[in-house]
Amino acid sequence: MKKIFLLICIIFILSCNSNSRKKTLVIAGSTSVQPFVEGLEEMYIRKNKTAEINIQGGGSSAGIQSAISGTANIGMSSRHLSLDEEKQLKIIPIAYDAVVVILNPRNKIDNISLEDIRKIFSRKILNWKELGGEDKEINAITREDGSGTRGAFQELVMKETPISNACMVQDSNGSVREIVKADPWSIAYISLGLVDKDVKAVKIDGILPDRAAVKEKKYNFMRPFLFVHTGELGKDAKDFVDFVLSNEGQNFLEKEGLIKVGTTP
Amino acid sequence: MKNTIITNNLNAYFGKTHAVKDINMKIGERVATAIIGPSGCGKSTFIRCLNRMHEVIPGTSVRGDVLLDGKNIYDGDVDPIELRQKVGMVFQKPTPFPTLSIYENVSVGLKLNGINKKSYLDEIVEESLKKAALWDEVKDKLKASGMSLSGGQQQRLCIARALAVKPEVILFDEPCSALDPISTTKIEELIQQLKQNYTIVIVTHNMQQAARVSDWTAFFLLGELIEFGKTQEIFTNPKDKRTEAYITGRFG
Amino acid sequence: MNREKLIEKTFFLIACSALFLLALITVFIFKEGIGIFLKIGFAKFIFSPDWAPSQKQFGLFSMIMGSVWITIGALIIGVPLSLSVSIFLAEFCPKKIARILKPAIELLAGIPSVVYGFIGVVILAPLIREYLGGPGLSVLAGSMVLAIMILPTVISISLDALHAVPKSYLEGSLALGATRWQSVYMVIIPAARSGIIASVILGMGRAVGETMAVIMVSGNAVRIPHSILEPVRTLTSNIALELGYATGMHREALFGTGMVLFVIIMILNTAAYVFTKRKVRK
Repeated sequence: MKKIFLLICIIFILSCNSNSRKKTLVIAGSTSVQPFVEGLEEMYIRKNKTAEINIQGGGSSAGIQSAISGTANIGMSSRHLSLDEEKQLKIIPIAYDAVVVILNPRNKIDNISLEDIRKIFSRKILNWKELGGEDKEINAITREDGSGTRGAFQELVMKETPISNACMVQDSNGSVREIVKADPWSIAYISLGLVDKDVKAVKIDGILPDRAAVKEKKYNFMRPFLFVHTGELGKDAKDFVDFVLSNEGQNFLEKEGLIKVGTTP
Repeated sequence: MKNTIITNNLNAYFGKTHAVKDINMKIGERVATAIIGPSGCGKSTFIRCLNRMHEVIPGTSVRGDVLLDGKNIYDGDVDPIELRQKVGMVFQKPTPFPTLSIYENVSVGLKLNGINKKSYLDEIVEESLKKAALWDEVKDKLKASGMSLSGGQQQRLCIARALAVKPEVILFDEPCSALDPISTTKIEELIQQLKQNYTIVIVTHNMQQAARVSDWTAFFLLGELIEFGKTQEIFTNPKDKRTEAYITGRFG
Repeated sequence: MNREKLIEKTFFLIACSALFLLALITVFIFKEGIGIFLKIGFAKFIFSPDWAPSQKQFGLFSMIMGSVWITIGALIIGVPLSLSVSIFLAEFCPKKIARILKPAIELLAGIPSVVYGFIGVVILAPLIREYLGGPGLSVLAGSMVLAIMILPTVISISLDALHAVPKSYLEGSLALGATRWQSVYMVIIPAARSGIIASVILGMGRAVGETMAVIMVSGNAVRIPHSILEPVRTLTSNIALELGYATGMHREALFGTGMVLFVIIMILNTAAYVFTKRKVRK
């Protein structure tokens, strides 16, 4: 009996050792950045079979916090850092992303002026017929307070106009897209890279937010995707960051709908 | 003597257990008939067959006839609900409805039949409580809960409740076994009075009680009717050895 | 003897640790949340409908009303349904069917709330939008999903209460010439009343505390709803949606939300306890 117990202990200790020898790299933060980094990780793992990377969501602020506290080796942020945060962290931009306004494909409207978008999200315009659409109430969906995407949308699109509390709130890009996909009278905003065939990106002031428009700097609602860390990256982390910034990594991000670093601001 | 209830080859079952076997009895009108026998002899089951309360328990069945005033109560056109108003029942444990007042407990049977006229209900409640010898004790607290009464009072309340729907027959299933001697005496006196106007069938463990209150007595054993006759004869001169053994206390 | 004592002590300690944990959680929530009450005032925090953490506005009233609306809705839909089921199971259902039905209902309790939420988003919300109007994600959708989620709680507890009513009550009533339904309605349900009320209160606690499914189906707009077709945010949703980002006062405000919830649930559980106690005393 005692022997078995001892054996289990030894196995346990050994297995602990083998785990700690190869440290898992933890990357946490923005749900906007997360799916792209997951894609990069898959490619990276194929090349480096021994690497172990753990990618978590939680949102930009959570990512920044966990980078500061050390819970994560790298934090992901889809918003600019506050002055206070900037003091404590090193910033690596990995790509740029456009924030786009999306509608359900059944909605006939495909162009909205910037002014009207502000009115929709501040609940000054409540019905699609005011924009020449059908007589249906507008179901505006925003992200939760603190979300990087919301921060970017507020900063880039809404500017001084506050987003109304009467808008519905969803807590991830994925669920925002699901709702817009299901509800023909909804409107919301997500990353350009996450727009798929089930939702349509709407023109703002006549400009369709596709990659061409972004590259030609016609569409300006851009935000950076950032990696943040406390200073010294371990070798595992540095290797991964190098991979992300390599041609291969950057081309992948561009293929997925983001803009390479170095091409825009 | 006119017969109110006649049973022809009455059998009752719990699942496969044959609890009452081929009973043929003629129960007289306006007399008290006692049913005695050791525990598990089927006497309770038998009287529950007389107002179709036996079938309330899942998995039970009844075979044979029970004629009430010449009409078989097991015929398809007999509504057991109506039957139970004609054949009332008082149980071993007093069962006043816990959330109802004394007044409501007595009037509930009438209300179930759609009688709501206040003056009529008042009259029936008073009459029934008087008949149950409870009126003087409760007339000042009719609004109080039925549960506030003592055990013996509760049992008389249940009798009043049964009387209110104007039955022909009242079945008593060991009505005194949960009561103290004084309450028991009161109930026995009450039964003595009630048999002037109602046909009474009483199941009892207590042979003295049977001797005191009943005119006729039936002795049951293992589901069979062993002997049935005038109470006096059964107790003084039983024909069957088993009856004699039981009433002299040699078993049971 | 010593061994006996040791075992007794060990179990006592383990039992205490559960209590200790509860105390720890309580202290933690109150320690983290009390600041907001001091900073902006109890009345303002509870009764102001303005919630905009980025502008330092912290008022829970919209969320409190949201929880109240959704919970009342869930009770209006769920309680009659649950009680019908438990009355049917206790009094009318053949044993064979009960043997299948009861475990099936208990299985409902085992389905993760995210699954309920998903079904609500995919099926319920579009139906509401299509046939009743509004955005679909609404008080009504939240209430309907919660109504189903409280079924197992309300059914199993009220069923126990109904089963606990002595058979003699039913027989007494039937022997008076009452029908089965009359007996159930006039005798059994009143006799089981305290247990049934307790079941409803516990169901209510479950509804107030549910988070995941509610976030998914109720739209989460911070506004006091004027109709059941409008989206709402509940107290629990508020915490879950924003805790990931919250720092400073915002974080305190979310723990403050937790305190409010804690107190509500305590009141409900105490009420349920009092009602069940009353039954036992009888």
